[in-house]
Amino acid sequence: MKKIILFLLAISYAAAIVAQETFPVNGTSNKNHVIYAFINAKVIVDADQTIDNGTIVIKDGLIFSVGTKIPIPQGSVIVDLKGKTIYPGLIDAYTSYGMQETKRSSGGGYPQIESNTKGAYGWNQAIKAENDAIKNFTKDTKSAEEYRKLGFGAVLTFQKDGIVRGSGSVVTLSDNRENELILNEKAAAMYSFDKGTSAQDYPSSLMGSIALLRQTYLDASWYKSDKTKKEFNISLDAFNMLQSLPQIFESNDKLNALRADKIGDEFKVKYIIKGSGNEYQRLEDIKSTGCKFIMPVNFPIAYDVEDAYDANYVSLSELKHWEMAPVNLFAMEKNGVVFAITASDLKDKKDFWKNLRKAISFGLSEKQALLSLTSIPAEMLNLSDKIGKLKEGMIANFIITSGNLFDEKTIIYENWIQGNAYKINDYNTIDIRGNYDFSFGPERVLHQLKIEGELDKLKATLHTDTAKAAVNITVSGYSVSMSFNTINSNGTIRLSGNISSDPLKMNGTGQTPDGSWINWSANYSGTVIATVKKDSIKKDSLKKEAIKFGQVIYPFCAYGKQSDEREGFSKYVSDFKTRYDAVLIKHVTVWTNEAEGILKNQDVYITEGRIVRIADDIGAPKLAFAKVIDGTGKHLTAGIIDEHSHIALSSVNEGTQASSAEVRMGDVINSEDINIYRQLSGGVTTSQLLHGSANPIGGQSAIIKLRWGKSPEEMKFERADGFIKFALGENVKQSNWGDVNTIRFPQSRMGVEQVYYDAFTRAKEYEIKQKAYAALSEKAKATAVPFRRDLELEAVAEILNKKRFITCHSYVQSEINMLMHVGDSMGFKVNTFTHILEGYKVADKMKAHEAGASTFSDWWAYKMEVKDAIPYNAALLSKAGIVTAINSDDAEMGRRLNQEAAKAIKYGGLSEEEALKLVTLNPAKLLHIDKKVGSIKVGKDADVVLWSDNPLSVYAKVEKTIIDGQIYFDAEEDVKMRSAIQKERARIIQKMLEEKKSGAPTQKPVMKRKQLFECDTMQEDYLEIAE
Amino acid sequence: MRKLILLTLLVTSTFTFAQKSVLIMNGTAHIGNDSIIQNSLIGLKDGKIVLVADATTAKLDKSAYDEVIDAGGKHIYPGFIAPNSTLGLTEIESVRATNDFRETGTTLPNVRSLIAYNTDSKIIPTVRSNGVLLAQITPRGGLVSGTSSIVTLDGWNWEDAAYKTDDGIHINWPTIQSRKYLDEDNIYPGPFEKNKDYVKQTDLLKKLFADAKAYTESADKVEANLRFEAMKGIFSGTQTLFIHSNTVKEMVEAINFAKQNKISKVAIVGGKESWMITDLLKQNEIAVIISRLHDLPTYQEDDIDLPYKLPYLLQKGGVLYCLNNEGDMEAMNTRNLPFLAGTAATYGLTKEQALRSITLNTAKILGIDKSTGSIESGKDATVFISTGDALDMRSNNVERAFIKGRDIDLNNDQKVLYEKYKTKYGIK
Repeated sequence: MKKIILFLLAISYAAAIVAQETFPVNGTSNKNHVIYAFINAKVIVDADQTIDNGTIVIKDGLIFSVGTKIPIPQGSVIVDLKGKTIYPGLIDAYTSYGMQETKRSSGGGYPQIESNTKGAYGWNQAIKAENDAIKNFTKDTKSAEEYRKLGFGAVLTFQKDGIVRGSGSVVTLSDNRENELILNEKAAAMYSFDKGTSAQDYPSSLMGSIALLRQTYLDASWYKSDKTKKEFNISLDAFNMLQSLPQIFESNDKLNALRADKIGDEFKVKYIIKGSGNEYQRLEDIKSTGCKFIMPVNFPIAYDVEDAYDANYVSLSELKHWEMAPVNLFAMEKNGVVFAITASDLKDKKDFWKNLRKAISFGLSEKQALLSLTSIPAEMLNLSDKIGKLKEGMIANFIITSGNLFDEKTIIYENWIQGNAYKINDYNTIDIRGNYDFSFGPERVLHQLKIEGELDKLKATLHTDTAKAAVNITVSGYSVSMSFNTINSNGTIRLSGNISSDPLKMNGTGQTPDGSWINWSANYSGTVIATVKKDSIKKDSLKKEAIKFGQVIYPFCAYGKQSDEREGFSKYVSDFKTRYDAVLIKHVTVWTNEAEGILKNQDVYITEGRIVRIADDIGAPKLAFAKVIDGTGKHLTAGIIDEHSHIALSSVNEGTQASSAEVRMGDVINSEDINIYRQLSGGVTTSQLLHGSANPIGGQSAIIKLRWGKSPEEMKFERADGFIKFALGENVKQSNWGDVNTIRFPQSRMGVEQVYYDAFTRAKEYEIKQKAYAALSEKAKATAVPFRRDLELEAVAEILNKKRFITCHSYVQSEINMLMHVGDSMGFKVNTFTHILEGYKVADKMKAHEAGASTFSDWWAYKMEVKDAIPYNAALLSKAGIVTAINSDDAEMGRRLNQEAAKAIKYGGLSEEEALKLVTLNPAKLLHIDKKVGSIKVGKDADVVLWSDNPLSVYAKVEKTIIDGQIYFDAEEDVKMRSAIQKERARIIQKMLEEKKSGAPTQKPVMKRKQLFECDTMQEDYLEIAE
Repeated sequence: MRKLILLTLLVTSTFTFAQKSVLIMNGTAHIGNDSIIQNSLIGLKDGKIVLVADATTAKLDKSAYDEVIDAGGKHIYPGFIAPNSTLGLTEIESVRATNDFRETGTTLPNVRSLIAYNTDSKIIPTVRSNGVLLAQITPRGGLVSGTSSIVTLDGWNWEDAAYKTDDGIHINWPTIQSRKYLDEDNIYPGPFEKNKDYVKQTDLLKKLFADAKAYTESADKVEANLRFEAMKGIFSGTQTLFIHSNTVKEMVEAINFAKQNKISKVAIVGGKESWMITDLLKQNEIAVIISRLHDLPTYQEDDIDLPYKLPYLLQKGGVLYCLNNEGDMEAMNTRNLPFLAGTAATYGLTKEQALRSITLNTAKILGIDKSTGSIESGKDATVFISTGDALDMRSNNVERAFIKGRDIDLNNDQKVLYEKYKTKYGIK
């Protein structure tokens, strides 16, 4: 009794607090402090605690008490929920609920160099740190209803616009006044790689977005430490404020998730990553980020593959992703990745439960699903004391269901939010959707009745053999009425009757068009869409099932390989092995690229990634996993090195400013590019991935080994020097870009020179300032304007300090000469001129400057500046004593660089050995990696290629490409893979055909061709490119 | 009509003045029809090949020739033929003023490439010096691009370069799926999507051909229609209809279209997926002018060497085929035509079959095989001598070349610059 009094006291006390508000009332005040008590319910307190036959008492929007046999205050409305279940209201941590749609302002195609945001904001329009969701939020009844129907009670909402998107707010989905809906006005800081509505040119590329974000972190911390505050910057100020919040980063692909995490590591931020659904394709890497995720349940629908030709448009990765996407959440759960689940990304929110249940049927545990929809998002948003569980004092957000929330037949009756009830379905509603054996009238013909659609908007069709007729159907409680016309009916037949469950059936009577009464009955025969049946997959046997489903391959596209190579490719590709402890190639002609020249009938022994021995006769290795290759009649060369490549990149040009020295190609390596494999088949083992040539100072290069299957980070050439792309001539002055691109500096070769003088002058001053600041005493530093790190100038300064080296796109002699002059006067050397088609005209000057050359074999006549290009260039430069390479700049040509090198024999008469060096040792020298690769020498990396013929002959084919002693391309295995790909495709296509037959929706296949990057490629859709 | 007669007269009457007769001895002759004569005698006289014999067996009167070339250890080939080329119609791709291969409009059968063919293009001598001695100069764009002509790669002007005037009409079969561009200027390529105008475009072609045919057959021509006039040869069988198409569905429709219009001479240009329909092509005697071999496969899962082995797949399927070089930088790249054939030999064909794909097969498809395409007695003296295998860049080195018996200048601007700068640096 004492307790009850105490309770009552507490209630009145709480009421006194809640009672006041600021808004005037039109009419009489309608305050309602009625207490509700829900009794006899199964109460799911949280994923770990269930109270059978429990009670929940709520008042003033809060949970007052929860438990069994708890006292119910007098004057409560008592709701008996016998047989029903109460769950905590669900939380969606990734929505734009109640946000206005934003549109990109178009500048009519003209460049927009500066930000359009007027005021004391930062310089870049894509940094919208000041964007607070709370200020833009207005409740949206229609959208709220959509979420409520799914069981959601609270959401994180934010403006989905920009790279830094400002703060998101957590709001409830009740339709009270906005002021009462806000649970946390600044709940999280939001980020993405997508510049959104910003029409400002910079950034135009993925690596530009990353660079901008990096610089913003630096600027913000500089701004914070600057006590003098000579400028006020709303954006940076807001950015600093955001840092104390949970940080949420949107990724639209597994690789972008890894990229986001990498930025986080640099600035000591652990992002919560909004996932994309293909994380399973690089799960190990995803796991090792240690990030939490917010995961969509947006699974691709099947392709219509009935037309065998059209089916070719659907790639193996799409086929496999269709099959495996539903397993993503299970895979993450099993690997201990913490994630919330969101309804975001779904074209139709109504698919949420269907898809989530699908994920569960693929192994996701119901417990995990519940956690991911309740307490995990609550914790992510620092609201675990308010939402996500049914505990005393928390907000009264809960849903009342007919049973287990994750069960297909379960109905959500009511969704209570902040103590307000929203009715979803009548308590008496029975889910009658499904197929029925249906008969009516005296004929006793068996028809099929198909009922589908939403519970409150059922759609039914009558099937008699192949004939179909629409049926109007209305259900109210346990009664049902239908009307329809059949071919023979001469009018409308009307039926009414009762529904009974367990087993589900309907029967009753009705009238035919002529007025005679008939009997009818319908017996449930199964669900409409034959989704994967839960009981068909035993969770503990899921590993087996996964094999039947196909395996994850690395990378996730055709010619990808299963990760555990040594185990063999089991079901997918039999006995595919690449990882050996040793490889011995016997009786082969070795093109050493060393003083020894070409050695005939040699044995080459490779182990632990190195060339260990070259000799006449080497005995078979005694290691368990050793491979002996007969090289009789074959040729072994060092792996081909492409000095100028744009494969394996997600983005290539950030040409929006004259200098984009801050962008890094290493940020956007795309390990999933099929051209990596194709180039392996042409003997390429190392490539320099260059920024494009759209601006005088491009971005920082990445040097990779073509380790097909590995992650972007694992592909990088270890401890290679840093390089940077420069460019001269027509591309940087935008000569061939149309009439609108005449604004960005420079537009002439005269301007190009000034860009360099300006950049290097500023870089020198930057260094002076940096040193001056570093020399200050701690005391002086406290009052001085702090030093601001500038990543662009830092990269340029690295060139001056010989820590970064230039690869410069160039054509005509005047500009080549110019850059060497800039270099001589500013104190740097141009490491490599690339393309350099008029290099032969200034070979003497290049020699004096110690510049190298990387050129095309025979390209010319495609633009004005290559008018004097000659195929003798490589030979002339070589003979003039310049380290000369031949490069591809082209994904196709990259796989026959040996042939391009051979042209230097034809044009200019280089020896075969010298010609081969153009694509092996010489590019290695230009890239400063010749100590490790470029020749066949004991101790060097085992990056070698076995050719069927003289490697410079058009008739030579690559038989094996070996990197780090591992076989990455094997012509024999390639043939096996082709048939395995065919089989795997055929298997999934059969499945898709079944899916279509079952009546599931399908999409038409569309041809997708990956965009190939060359120097001048500019693109804005980089976010869509990840294939 | 009178004009046409005049033109034909001009073509046949050029260069009838006396030429030096030449005997090429002891070289390996690659005939072009799959056969080789290891130690050969080849006589050229009055613009024609007058002798093709095995030196080990034939008797010979050296004095009958003005010049005797000892080609011992060297190789002799019929002049290579580049079909479907824009050589001479463009000089510098990115400079609009130099481009003459595309006219505005959709159906332009009457637009003729020959008269825009610039014999003084600086690119042509660089192509000739790799063994390519004939080309089919072809307009581009629209649904019906226009009329091509075959030229020899020498000549003072287009009139005397003309080898077969107005040999065929080129149509671009509409694509069922087309690329969507992300911007208004069609610079940023986006994904492919269904071509909504496919039916409209094919209907336009069907109507054009039906109308042109009726016009041709009509006795009463009230007003002359230049477009229809230009198509006469297609229906009478004197011209070839070149259908540019790559995917199976489109090719099948295009073949049906040609059949319905009772067009006797048809060739597919492109034919990337033609290996999937070899029976259909064979049955209908439709040849394929294969798109540039040095290309990436269309689909990720395609055999990585699919473009390289396409000639082999057609050979196996019994389809007549030859190689062309359309694509990026195609004019300057024409000089690499021999190496496309070399690649075809690496990927399935024999070397002689590969040679055939740029000589006799091409001549057959273009309807000029009676007079050129192989080293056979009575054919034009269009041959060249290379010091090594001309299909391999490692050894392609053309020393002498003859077009209809004319001794061709193998120098070009690039060689001039080479010599100039060799001198500058004192390189030997």
